Amino acid sequence: MDSFSSPPSGTSSQFSTNDIMDQVKTQLEQAYAEQFLEIVAEDIILTLLQLSQTVRDKCFDKCITKPGSSLSGSEGSCISRCVDRYIEATGIISKALFSQR
Amino acid sequence: MDPSALKSPELQHFLNQEKERAMINEMVGKLTSACWDKCITGTPGSKFSSSESNCLSNCAQRYMEMSLMIVKRFQSMQ
Repeated sequence: MDSFSSPPSGTSSQFSTNDIMDQVKTQLEQAYAEQFLEIVAEDIILTLLQLSQTVRDKCFDKCITKPGSSLSGSEGSCISRCVDRYIEATGIISKALFSQR
Repeated sequence: MDPSALKSPELQHFLNQEKERAMINEMVGKLTSACWDKCITGTPGSKFSSSESNCLSNCAQRYMEMSLMIVKRFQSMQ
C-alpha cells in the first residue's frame, strides 16, 4: 500500500481498515505456509515410516530364518546388506520404469 | 491468500504435479516389493548378481506391459 498518496491521518478511517485487512492477510498467508510445511514434513515422515516397515518385513523374512536368543553377527550383517539391496532395488525399478520410454 | 487463490492455475498445476509424483512413488514402492519377492530368492549379498538386477528390471517392465494389456482387453469387451 502506498501511504504517500493518501492524505495524512485524521479523516482516513478507510485507510486504517485497509491496514488491518493487510495485516490479517499477511497473518493468514503465514498460517497457510506453516500448515503447508507441517503437512509436507508429516508426509515425509510417513513415507519413511512405511518404507522402513516394508524393509523390516522383507529383511526379517530373509535374514531371521531361525530366531535365536539374540541377534547373531551374521544376522546383523545380513540385515544391513538386505536394507542396502532393497534401496538399490527401488532404484533399479524406477530406472526400468522411466528410462525405457 | 484469499479463497479464490485456491483456483489459480499455478496452484492447480503444482497440485497435479504432486499427485502424479505421489502416484509414481506408490507404484515404485509396490513394484519393488512384488519384484523383490520374485527375484531375490537367496539371502541378500553385498552386491546384486546380474541375473537378480536383470530380473528386477524385467519384472518392472513386464508389469507395465501387462497392465497395458489388461486395459486393452477390458476396452475390447465394451
